[in-house]
Amino acid sequence: MHDIKILAVDDSPTMRRIIINTLRRAGYNDIKEATDGKDALAKMKIDNYDFIITDWNMPEMDGLTFVHTLRATEEYKTLPILMVTTRSVKDDIVQALKAGVNNYIVKPFTPDTLKQKIEQILAD
Amino acid sequence: MSDSSNLQNQIQNEVFELAKSINNVVGQFRDIQRPLAESQAKVPKATRQLDKINEQTEAATQRMLDMIEQIQAREEATIDGLSHLRPQIEGKDMTHFRDLIDRLIEHANHNLDDTYTLVDNLQFQDITAQQMNHAAWLLEDIENKLRRILTVMQGYDDQGEDNDRHRERVFDPNADLVTKRTAQEDIDNLFSPKDES
Repeated sequence: MHDIKILAVDDSPTMRRIIINTLRRAGYNDIKEATDGKDALAKMKIDNYDFIITDWNMPEMDGLTFVHTLRATEEYKTLPILMVTTRSVKDDIVQALKAGVNNYIVKPFTPDTLKQKIEQILAD
Repeated sequence: MSDSSNLQNQIQNEVFELAKSINNVVGQFRDIQRPLAESQAKVPKATRQLDKINEQTEAATQRMLDMIEQIQAREEATIDGLSHLRPQIEGKDMTHFRDLIDRLIEHANHNLDDTYTLVDNLQFQDITAQQMNHAAWLLEDIENKLRRILTVMQGYDDQGEDNDRHRERVFDPNADLVTKRTAQEDIDNLFSPKDES
């Protein structure tokens, strides 16, 4: 079992459940959900998280804006962030990299990819 | 006939032809106005259908996930129970039962693996929902353009995009279940460039 607290941010209820199911399979059990960047920021004011998994295309506040907001905040400058999105155009990936995500997965993803990326980020 | 009289007749003829052309164009405008208005009226029905498909596939996917999670819980409980039982028959002449327990644990693990595969494949719902949102957005765009054409044809000022209606839709226009523009390996190289020294 891994002892880290993860926040999964995605506007799709289905995708949130899939991510949570996949993470539980990989031994991560402390996982909370948010529906978009704005909801995630509100939840982060109440609780501390060790890892963020975020989608890009979301209402209210999209994933890229969410990442920019986090990285502009002293408290979250080094918080691990993994972007999981359908966006697979290279320019988008570069934008996300410049915004400060630690890694990036394109949907549909395999459970092994998700697990590996989390482990890589935590190891860095 | 004098020159001025000829000229006057020519002008009158031209004006008459011009008026006839304008009447024809107005008539054609009227002819296409109705089908344009009908097309514009159908678009909201089409977008509602797409939204309905999204809602219903989302609901069905949630029900599937409910069942899958119940199956996973039962299989995990089965594996747990059998794993606790196995040590209790160690050292006795129970090879047959130990083998049976091992096989049951193996079956339960296979079932669990299959449920994980099912979960992974349900990612389709998120991607197809984005594709349908994109289609609905395109239809709404067509509806707005038709409305603006009709506004102008009816003699009103086109308010431009200020009056355009779009439901707030969030989607990736390139969302695709199969084709990815950039492979994961290339993404990995962007984040951890290979040392080329």
